[in-house]
Amino acid sequence: MKINVMTDILEANDRIAAVNSDVFNKNRNLVLNLMSSPGAGKTTLLEKTGEALKGKLRPGVIAGDIETSRDAERLQKYKLPVVQLTTGSACHLDANMIASALPHIDLKEIDILIIENVGNLVCPAEFKLGEDYKIMMLSVTEGDEKPLKYPLMFRESSLLLINKIDLLKYTNFNLKEAKTNARRVNPDLDIIDISCTTGEGISDWMAWLNQHYQKKFGAKTRA
Amino acid sequence: MGLKRVHEMAIARNIVNIAVAAAEKEGAKRITKVNVVAGELRGIIPAQLIFSFGLMSENTIASGAYLDLEIMAVMGKCKKCGETFVVRDYRYACSRCQSEDIQTLSGTELRVKDIEVE
Repeated sequence: MKINVMTDILEANDRIAAVNSDVFNKNRNLVLNLMSSPGAGKTTLLEKTGEALKGKLRPGVIAGDIETSRDAERLQKYKLPVVQLTTGSACHLDANMIASALPHIDLKEIDILIIENVGNLVCPAEFKLGEDYKIMMLSVTEGDEKPLKYPLMFRESSLLLINKIDLLKYTNFNLKEAKTNARRVNPDLDIIDISCTTGEGISDWMAWLNQHYQKKFGAKTRA
Repeated sequence: MGLKRVHEMAIARNIVNIAVAAAEKEGAKRITKVNVVAGELRGIIPAQLIFSFGLMSENTIASGAYLDLEIMAVMGKCKKCGETFVVRDYRYACSRCQSEDIQTLSGTELRVKDIEVE
């Protein structure tokens, strides 16, 4: 006997993501799901973002790390509210892990919540967490063909940060080619070149954050 | 990254849960086949999914079931001229008028279509 099912395989995850999203909206959080390969510079970006946002929008972080709490320790130095999720051997965060982290973070004290996903270009793209936007970080020490190898992740992202551009001259990374490839997969993708080391592009990243916060909530009214 | 915990594993676990729930609702004793549809953009490695499904279905009524995976191509529809076409090599442009203003029709689906039971 054949039974018609037609059920979305990630439905259970998507349902929890929708609940997370409601919680974020109630607390007026702009939520970003930050994804990249390992070593692209996600944690350094968060450090720089915490500094640059000081006195403006209040940041918070949920960090997914495979075995250690090293990332959280790095970020605590910057007095950023951080919740560390140790994911064990899991290769991605899912909506349920985020739901379990929420009681440990005071969302009312946060304007921009950045979820640092596990360093991986395949799995994280599959699982919605309740975010407003997915952000992808690619560093110039990786290949410029990455967008064509991992299309789903680039397709689902709203912003691509190309990091470590201060190292461009030491690599054979073709910036123009990388952007062409990324826009081929996702013509609507915003792209910002940055260097978390020299600070280049950080002001553009801040402008993007401000613009998208205002798009969601209007001008910031609370301090 | 643990080799055993790839996204196929999480997906396989969900497939087993969905299939078993649907079979039990109909009072079935055993699942013999599960038909899954996955969009090309999902980047599913069939062998990996089938292997994961075998592991996750152990000790359930889906144990030993055949997993059939249908991969759906990425299809686009041009918003300008209405042409429907297959998106090849991630070129999201109309194959007739080259417009980039297109709507994606398929390629990201991921669902259990139906199951066969005894």
